[in-house]
Formats: sequence, structure tokens, C-alpha cells
Amino acid sequence: MTSVSPDPQVPTGQGSFSSGLSVSDFAACLDMGLEPLGLVQGFCVMRSQPTMSQMSLSMGMTPYQPAPNDYVENYHCPHGIVSAEHRMWGQNYQQTWIERIWRQGFSSAYTRMLSEATTLHAHGIVGVFDNVTPLVQDGIVEFRMFGTAVRLKDHQSTSPPWSTYLAGQRLAKSFEAGFAPVSIVAAVSSVRVSASCVTQYAVEGTGSLLYGQGNDSFEIEQLVSARAAARGLVRQSVKSQLHADQLHGVELLMREHDFGHGDFEIQPVLRGNRVRRFKNFAALLAPRPTVTLS
Amino acid sequence: MSDEANELARTTEHRLEELEKGLFTSDLSVNEFLLIKEVGYHPLGFVMGSSIYHTGIQTRKWSQSQELTKLTEAMYNARELAMSRMEDEAAQLGADGVVGVRLDVNYYEWGKDAAEFIAVGTAVKAEDGVSRLNKLGKPFTSDLSGQDFWTLLQTGYMPQGLVMGTCVYHIAHRGLGQTLQTTGQNMELPNFTQALYEARELAMTRMQDEANQLGASGIVGVRLEEKTHQWGSHTIEFLSLGTAVTKTADVVSLAKPITIISLDN
Amino acid sequence: MSTETPIPDGSTLRADVRLAMASLENPSTSHTSVASVTSDLSIDEELNLHAVGWQPVELVSGVSAFSVPSGLWNWGQGEIVGAIRAHENAFSHAILQLQRDAAQAGGHGVVGVRVERAVHPTHVEVSLVGTAVRPIGASAVDSLKVFTSDLSGRDFALLDAAGWQPLGLAHGASFVYAPRRQMSTVLAQQSQNVELTNFTNAIYEARETAMERLQAIALSLAGTGIVQVQVVEGPMSFASHAIGFATWGTVVRLTREAHQRVEPQMVMSMNDRASAFEATTLG
Repeated sequence: MTSVSPDPQVPTGQGSFSSGLSVSDFAACLDMGLEPLGLVQGFCVMRSQPTMSQMSLSMGMTPYQPAPNDYVENYHCPHGIVSAEHRMWGQNYQQTWIERIWRQGFSSAYTRMLSEATTLHAHGIVGVFDNVTPLVQDGIVEFRMFGTAVRLKDHQSTSPPWSTYLAGQRLAKSFEAGFAPVSIVAAVSSVRVSASCVTQYAVEGTGSLLYGQGNDSFEIEQLVSARAAARGLVRQSVKSQLHADQLHGVELLMREHDFGHGDFEIQPVLRGNRVRRFKNFAALLAPRPTVTLS
Repeated sequence: MSDEANELARTTEHRLEELEKGLFTSDLSVNEFLLIKEVGYHPLGFVMGSSIYHTGIQTRKWSQSQELTKLTEAMYNARELAMSRMEDEAAQLGADGVVGVRLDVNYYEWGKDAAEFIAVGTAVKAEDGVSRLNKLGKPFTSDLSGQDFWTLLQTGYMPQGLVMGTCVYHIAHRGLGQTLQTTGQNMELPNFTQALYEARELAMTRMQDEANQLGASGIVGVRLEEKTHQWGSHTIEFLSLGTAVTKTADVVSLAKPITIISLDN
Repeated sequence: MSTETPIPDGSTLRADVRLAMASLENPSTSHTSVASVTSDLSIDEELNLHAVGWQPVELVSGVSAFSVPSGLWNWGQGEIVGAIRAHENAFSHAILQLQRDAAQAGGHGVVGVRVERAVHPTHVEVSLVGTAVRPIGASAVDSLKVFTSDLSGRDFALLDAAGWQPLGLAHGASFVYAPRRQMSTVLAQQSQNVELTNFTNAIYEARETAMERLQAIALSLAGTGIVQVQVVEGPMSFASHAIGFATWGTVVRLTREAHQRVEPQMVMSMNDRASAFEATTLG
């Protein structure tokens, strides 16, 4: 990974500050004793090149052989039909190379944002906004991140700045509840579905009579299994970055690409705020219904 | 009630029987549910009424502003049918009223000039066993949310019925000569103003007539909706809706509201 | 009952922030939990949960997809049974998976379930994502005992305070063919205001059967009510002569002897409305 040096124009905390905060978020920041220093950002553009293994994945060749710990499932044709039009096998497999590129892009952009904040002598970054999208096939993807660097008055720190998607009252509440922000965390998983004949016919709605599936409705196992696996993988990947901390305010974005013929690419993105408990908190009163007059 | 309508009642019966056994269904949020419990009502069930109506064709004069009485009639009758079916369902449950009523119009591709009018809401019953039926002996209806229902009852008023008035109006096109004359000028178009006034007045008056029939002392939450449906931009339906109310009790001391500025985005 | 909400004091908030910063620099002082927790609840929801003695455990999900026999949508009369069965199966399988996933994480229930469903001509998909929760420190239960609910954490806590408990998600769907009109009737009705009773009937039946299925599930869970019933209806985008009706909601039951009255709080928002008046132009 090449290093891109942060913009030398970044203000050094002297004079006026810029911030991406709304007025209410700004007020809440001051209330917490956090002074906004400036808007910080990080970018990274990545390109995913189809690898050899990807290119050999056209149907008719042998199934893909994944690395030992990767997710893979094979489905075989139950019909015993040998024909160029009839798929003999189907496969779900994890596209680790896509996950790797995505991880690289995200962490580069993040590192750059963090180094901008460091040059401002910030202690944290609040209200992070990013455009976390999964990679499109053969696509070029830009990772962008913005946030507002903040500094706690009269506080000396040697550790790198923390970061959070939260700003304003929500962040204040989180502090009060005893959760310290550690960092934003995001991960992607990528599962490719190469449909078996059964899956293809179920998704396309063809051949159910021809191939003896009758008029019954049945679960499309391969697709369901791939979706469940993709979600499981992305959760695992995020949890591996937590180191016994908690993840709050999680957002799960489902992205799917339909290639036709029952072939899919499933790429969920999971992101949230990694937080650490620093004290026990007294529970709130039980909630009451509200009537808003306006 | 016609034979067809009786048919409708039969398909509904089984579902309503289940509701009578004590299960309630409701599209109310938890907040609304608790507020309705708070003022001494229990939800009985999600009730609905629907009518698919074919609206006749009426010729309009290009350059004359006028009410299209046939369309007005169709729009009104169809909604009345949907509403009364919903009320019937509620009555069958032994309800005192229906809250959170929504009136919708759906269009289907297969029905040219046909539209479905649907009324849905949650039937409620007073827990003290005292009947709250309105002057006409029917369950009261209201488009108020659970929050508004709670607030209204705090003021000592009681909803009597969802009242509506409608008017479908054709607004004249302007002649070519007129258009040319006035091109480039900023001016009021008095015939437009006049037409819009008249149509809205008609809709409001009809709504008030309904409220009078219920012996209501007022209408709250009046909304005036304007829709062109599928008739082109010069034919507009003016629909006014509101909840007719009467004073039945003294004001319950209303807690002073807490003033907040929401800091969430 | 005292209704005074403690007003957060700026000075303690600042002290909290300083305490938090100090603990980040000195990891040994932080109260690390044994297992990491993921949850899609907002901080308010988590605090609400804690207020009634519950905690989030893990983000969990359940998915399913069922095939619809081909050639089903285009012709026929009455209910489209194959599609209804696919919808029913997809929904209940997704719920089962969600329960299993939650039980594995040690949850006793799932709140804030986001229901996403799609009806394609060839298959029906249902996806459920929510946060597994449990009473603070409780041990794991069997997956069949795990409740599922699309109520938010706040609503869950509200219900709990009033003595109610969610039991599970109920769902019901119905798909019907729109009846055909005879050519002669179409012509006769051309210029009239008439109710199309056979259409009304068909749609009525679809709604009623869907709602009945919803209620049947609620009864089987021994519920006494279903709140926040959601309804999706209309013609199918790919087959205009077929009408779909789907509904779901959370089944609830009173767990205490009587409904606990919770005094509502009136708040007045000082935020302005975006616009009070909007002028439209005539075409």
C-alpha cells in the first residue's frame, strides 16, 4: 500500500474551525467539553481486477477450489441429465479476494482520515459520514470518509484519535450510559451463487414440470444458504475486530447482484460503532408514552 | 343491504368470531395502544370496508367551469359504502367506535374508470360498559390518531363520526384569444379563483351538513384534499374530511406539556 | 409516583467524557465484558431496554426463499394457492431461522425485526434482521421459546411497563385473481355509476383470508392481541390481474393480572414545520 500524505493545507487548530456538524450537534459537542477543530477526511480508490480463479468460473468447468477455511457448498444435479443446456452442478463460494480489496480500501481511507485528525492534535472524530458500498464486479470503487475532529480541553493524550458515527445528543447519552467510543467498524462479505439446475429453474420459473418438481412450492436451498452464510460471514468479520468490546447502532446493508440464470452475488455490509464500557450506569426510569402537540 | 353485501358479511364472519373470543388485532402503534387503554378503551379489532366502484362518464364543456355532479355522486357513494361496511364490521364486534380511520383510493390496471375505495381503522370498546354509540345508534368513527384521541378526550369532547364532503369540479380552459392577450402579464385569473372558491365551499358545506346530522358541536382536524385522480388536470376532486365532536364532559385537567426542541436529526 | 426525569447535569457529563478518555488510554481500567455484543439498537433503545431489565446480545437474522410453481399468475379463478403457500412457508422458515440464530447467541427474544419481503413471479423471499435480547445475565433458552417482534426496543420497554409481553410475529397473505367482466356488462356499465360487486367480493375475500391466517397464528401462540399490524396490498407488478394482500404484526399477551396504566407525558415540539402553505399551479 502506497502512503498518500495528508493535505498540507489542513488548518492546525489555530483560528477558525470548519465542521460538518449541525447546530444542535455542535451545541451538544460543546456541552460534552469537546471543541471542534476541523473537518477531516480520507479517500481511497480501489479497483478489483478479475483474478484467474474468477475467470475460470464459467459454468461447465470444474467447481472452484477455495482455500481451506473459506465458505463453500456444492450442489449436484439430481436429474441425471447430460446436456450442454443442463447444469450438472452448482456452487456457493466466498469471494475472499473481494473482501480483501474492500478491507484494504476502507482501512486506507480510515487511516488517512485519522492522520489528518492527528495533525490537528485531535482526540477524537465525531459524526463520521462514509459511503460504504460494496465493490461492483470489475468496478472501480471510491471509499470516502468525513468527520469532525474534536479535542477535549486541557487533556493530554498519546493514543490515536477515537472515532464514531454518532454526534450530538446520542453521543452524549452514550457517554452518560458508560460507553466510550473506540472506532467505527465496517466489514463486507461476498458470496457468489453459481446456480445448480434446481436453483436456476426455481428462480427462473422454468422447467419445474419438465424436471419433475411438480407443482409444489419448495425452499430454494442454495439461495437461502448463500444468504445466511453471507450474513454469518460479515458478522464474524466484524466481531473479529471488536476484541471483546461492544458494537452499537449496527446497520446491515444488503446488496445483491442478479446475473440471471439464478446466479447471484451477495454482498452485505455491516457497520457500527465499537464502544467500550468504562463505568456501570444507573438505569433510566421506565419509559412512558408521549403525546406530541404540534 | 343488497345480496352481494350480505355475501361480504359472511366471508368476514369467521374472522370476526375469532376476534370476539378475545383476540384483538390493530394497526395502532404501541404508543397509541397504550394511550387508548389509558382513556379506558380496549381495541377489539382491525376493521375494514371496501367498495370497487365504476364511475360513469360525464362530458365536460371545454370553456365552462362547473361541478360534475355525476362524478361527485360516485366519489361520495363509493366512500359511504366503504365506510358503512367498516361500521358494520365494528358493530358486529360490539364496538363503540372506530379510531385511526384511513380512507384510501386504489386504482387497478384492469378497471378503467374503476377505483377501489377502502376504509380501515381499529374498533374500540369502552371498558366501563357504558355505550358510546353516536346519535344515529352507530359506532363513532374518527380519523384521529391514538395520540389525538387521547388529547381530545382530555378536553371533554367526544368524537361522533368521520364526516366528509366532496365536490368534483371541472375548471374551464382559457380560450386561445384570452391566453394570447394576457401572455407576458402578471395578473389574477378571476374565473380560476372563482371556480376554486366555489368547489371548496361546496365540499366544506357538505361536510358540515353531515356533522349537523350527527348533532355535533364542531369538527376538528379538518383536512382539505385536492386530487385529480385519473381525469386530467382540469378536473379536480375537492374532498374535505374531519372528525365531528360534541362536548360530553368537563375538561380533565390537562397536564402542562413539556416544551422540547428535538435535537435528533 | 414521581415523574421527575433527572435533568442531565453538564458537569457530570463532562466528567463522564473525561473518565471515558482516561479509560481508552489505560485499557486495564475498563469494564470489558466477556463476550462482544453487536446490536442495531440506538443508544436510546438500549437504555430503554436496561430500564426494564433487558440487554441486547447480538444482531441476528433469518432468511428464506420459496419457489412458486410456474404459470400460476396468468389465469385462474379464486385464490392462488401455490403463491400463498410459498409466502407462508418463506415467512415461517425465516422466523424459525431467526429464532435459532437468536437462541445460539443466548437471546430470549428478538426485537426491532426489520421485515423485508419480495414476491417475484417465480419465488417469494423473506428476510428478517433484528437484535436478540435477554433479561440481564439470563442463561440461554430453547430456540422455540424465543419470541420475535417487529416492535422497536422502545416499544418493547413501553409494553413491558404496561404489563404486556410480545410472543411472536404473526403473518398472513392472500393472492387472488381479479374476476373478469363479460363484454356485455362492460358496455352496459360504461356510463354508469355502479359498484362492481364481484371485484369487491374478490378483494374482500383476499383481505379476510389473509387476516384470518394472521389471527390463526396469533391464537396458536396463545396471544390476546396483535399490535402494529402492517398491511401491503395492491395489484402484482408483473401480473395486473392478480391482487396481493400481505399482513404481519406482533402478537402480544398480558402477563400481569391487569393492564398497568402508564401515565402519558405531553411534550410540545418547538421545531418548526417545514412549510405551512404550498401553492400548486394548474396545468
